[in-house]
Amino acid sequence: MPARHKVSQSEVQSAKQAVLKRLYGRAALPELVSLDDPLSAVYALLNQTVSSNEGNSALVLGPRGSGKSAIIDRCLDRLQAEHNTASSPKYHTVRLNGFVHTNDRLALRDIARQLLITQDLEHVLVGSFADAFTYILNLLRSDEKEVVPPVLFILDEFDLLAQHPKQSLLYTLFDIAQSQQTPIAVIGLTARIDVMDLLEKRVKSRFSHRQIYVRSVQTLDQFKCIAQLALHISTDDGVSANYADEFNQQVDELLASDAVAGYMEYLFDFGKDTRQLLQTLASSVLQLSVDLPHPQQSPTAACVEREMQSAKLQVLANVSVLELCLIIAMKSLVQVGSTKYNFEMVYDEYKTFMSRHMMAVAAGGAMKIYKKPVALKAFETLIELEIVRPFTTEGGAAFGRNDLLAGTAAGNRVPKEYRMVQLMLEPGQVMELAADRPDIPAVIRRWAQQ
Amino acid sequence: MSSLLAILSEQYPGREDQASQLLSLLGEPTDPTPPFIFVYGPSATGKTSVIRSLFTHYDQSGQRYAYINGVECFTPRLLFERVLNAWAGHVPSLDNKFANYTRCENTVEFVNNVHDLLHDKQDQTHYIIIDQAERLRDRGPMLLTMLLRLSELTNASICTVLVSNVVWDKFRPRHGGALEPTLVFFSNYTKQQILSIIEKDCPKDEPPKFFLTFVDAIYEVFHRNCVDLDELRHLVTMLYPKFVQPVYEKQANRSEFTRLFKLCQPYFSAASERLYLREISTSEWQKYSTEVTTETAPEDVTQSIYQMAESGDGLDLPYYTKFLLIAAFLASYNPSRLDAQYFSRGKTQAKRRAKAVAQDATGGKDRQQLLGPKSFNIERMLAIFYSIIVEPVDSSVDVQIQIASLVTLRLLTKTSAGDRLDGIKCKCNVSLETIRTIAHSVRFEIDRYLYNFA
Repeated sequence: MPARHKVSQSEVQSAKQAVLKRLYGRAALPELVSLDDPLSAVYALLNQTVSSNEGNSALVLGPRGSGKSAIIDRCLDRLQAEHNTASSPKYHTVRLNGFVHTNDRLALRDIARQLLITQDLEHVLVGSFADAFTYILNLLRSDEKEVVPPVLFILDEFDLLAQHPKQSLLYTLFDIAQSQQTPIAVIGLTARIDVMDLLEKRVKSRFSHRQIYVRSVQTLDQFKCIAQLALHISTDDGVSANYADEFNQQVDELLASDAVAGYMEYLFDFGKDTRQLLQTLASSVLQLSVDLPHPQQSPTAACVEREMQSAKLQVLANVSVLELCLIIAMKSLVQVGSTKYNFEMVYDEYKTFMSRHMMAVAAGGAMKIYKKPVALKAFETLIELEIVRPFTTEGGAAFGRNDLLAGTAAGNRVPKEYRMVQLMLEPGQVMELAADRPDIPAVIRRWAQQ
Repeated sequence: MSSLLAILSEQYPGREDQASQLLSLLGEPTDPTPPFIFVYGPSATGKTSVIRSLFTHYDQSGQRYAYINGVECFTPRLLFERVLNAWAGHVPSLDNKFANYTRCENTVEFVNNVHDLLHDKQDQTHYIIIDQAERLRDRGPMLLTMLLRLSELTNASICTVLVSNVVWDKFRPRHGGALEPTLVFFSNYTKQQILSIIEKDCPKDEPPKFFLTFVDAIYEVFHRNCVDLDELRHLVTMLYPKFVQPVYEKQANRSEFTRLFKLCQPYFSAASERLYLREISTSEWQKYSTEVTTETAPEDVTQSIYQMAESGDGLDLPYYTKFLLIAAFLASYNPSRLDAQYFSRGKTQAKRRAKAVAQDATGGKDRQQLLGPKSFNIERMLAIFYSIIVEPVDSSVDVQIQIASLVTLRLLTKTSAGDRLDGIKCKCNVSLETIRTIAHSVRFEIDRYLYNFA
């Protein structure tokens, strides 16, 4: 649809940047859909600590991508806005993350750093954790008042922090929060619903058992609403009102189109993954320019189609004919009932099939039986793509592909042609693989369909 | 941006779609980028080359991207320090005593350093590019997840690009928490694209059309077992001089393709095995392959090539040691219950016939030949050895030393514990083809003694 109003380069640029920031998660959405209850609960808790110097603890539980971090960020921003006058209480915020702070000592050091403590702490850190922690908190006392300012502790990936030995960090934090010596708030965020079972008895008893549940979107309409919030632009983003209206109209049309609506339903049924949805929709604005100032439908449809393809079959779509024969040989071995096989057995199967169909093969096309070393090289290409993996019994450790490819140091291991493997494709996928290719001889295709 | 696309399309024909997809994702330096891009595809499809070339042109200063190889950085510390060096523009040199930008051993320090480096460069996206990214999976469960979430943790604009030939489904960590990528797929080249790429390899004084016909023929012959671009280029480079030789010797002219191919035929078949499998090195091929004339018989040519790789096959062992090795092979692959039948001398010789083996449901796939060598007692092997040697063994031959040297040569593998002195078990590490050659050299009919071998 041609633009009715002429738009300038800078407007297009601002629109593109604003939309992309929201789509890629680098900026918050203007409002959080259906998250009002958890939002008010968390805000009330934090506010109590800051204003009334109470100690509090809570856990925020919810699946990945449901908005826990978004809620926390919004609450912290709101607190910041409300308490920035001279007479309002001063407070500190410390954020810890289970991915980053992998043990308690590192966490303690980082807490000190985030609280802007510059004194040397080495002599304290070697002692007991609780003593070190209380020492750090006491360093926060300013000189006029004898009271420690409130500190808000936000613990991301709480379940990983609970796996540190003796859980001393969590014990100390909950202990201080409960005993009301110094006002701290402890909020843990996690995606595991059963996180309470991970806590030790002494830690669990000091926890207030307050759990705030964040649910993912309930209906397809809410899911669509999130996409709309991310894609719609407004005059706050630095564009004129006319351009914003046209743009938003195009967005609504895009979201109503068949490809995108079908994709949204697919994602909603699968796992309600909002991040994935927004990333795919980014393809509609990547080509934004002065000539095309509105979101386009065709690149989005192409991107949706790409997302729905199976990556494994994509990579295998162009393997050589010999590699395809080896895959089909493995499939036949599976179908007669062997669960494990090695290269020798696969090659034997390939040779038997080829010699059985020698007549048909010679007539249909120049298809020769490749010698074992050449077949081994093709087999190793498949191992590298991880379509063929070492055979493991249940409970066995996960072996890497290097176990199959590398030479052996220990004397007990078998030579590499005899190591047991398994194929990581289903028989149905193998049939699909062979059906799509026009260039393979008919006899091979029939073999795949058996 | 379009000029950059033109440069890349010219350097890397056939990769225009992927290059334009990547460029549109990167956008202008101030555009937001997805937090995670995953580039995947089979090997030899140009992933590393296109990415490196793209970033070199996209960011001339080199300070906004850090290129890491997953194989080189085998500990997290190496990875962290490399990334920080690249973003700070710090190059270890003699002046600063080859020190890194800063010492960074764990994740906490890394996150803090990144935050310090980048907090005033919020508007520019910085990139971490990790090649051979499948190696990262073994470096610790949290490393991958932490790298993907680096943007959130540091409040800076960072994009992680992982390049691998393994699909993303195999990367996803079990504890969850990793972001989903924007996928960029590098497909295999089509025939046309391969031809246009190899065409650029044409030597300067050869006519391009002639060269192209040759490449086309090579592709038709070899593409059934090899679609790898690197291999095809190697084969073309090695075979072309042989192909064009008769023209220079005035044996044929350039338009007689059939004749030239016929003369070159023995080289093709040798190449498809020896050269492709790298049993002969490239320099050996160039030095020793004889030149083709009309008088040269094809067999001589083939012979000269096969002779080049002789050293691997005919193991140069003493006479009795060869029999020991044959005895070891028989002990590994024959079931012990049939030993009396095959190896005892005297009256039971008449029964030494190959018995028909009942075919089971798996189509005979559990033959020992396919399962690999079994381990056996040394005593059993010695018993078989003494039975297959026709003449009495000279007492000066020390059989035990021969066994020890076979183990050192890795032709036998010891499977019992290292410090046991009695009851030693071994297994045979030699393939059937090699044993056949050895048996042939001592005139021993091994096929009569093998059980259930196809």
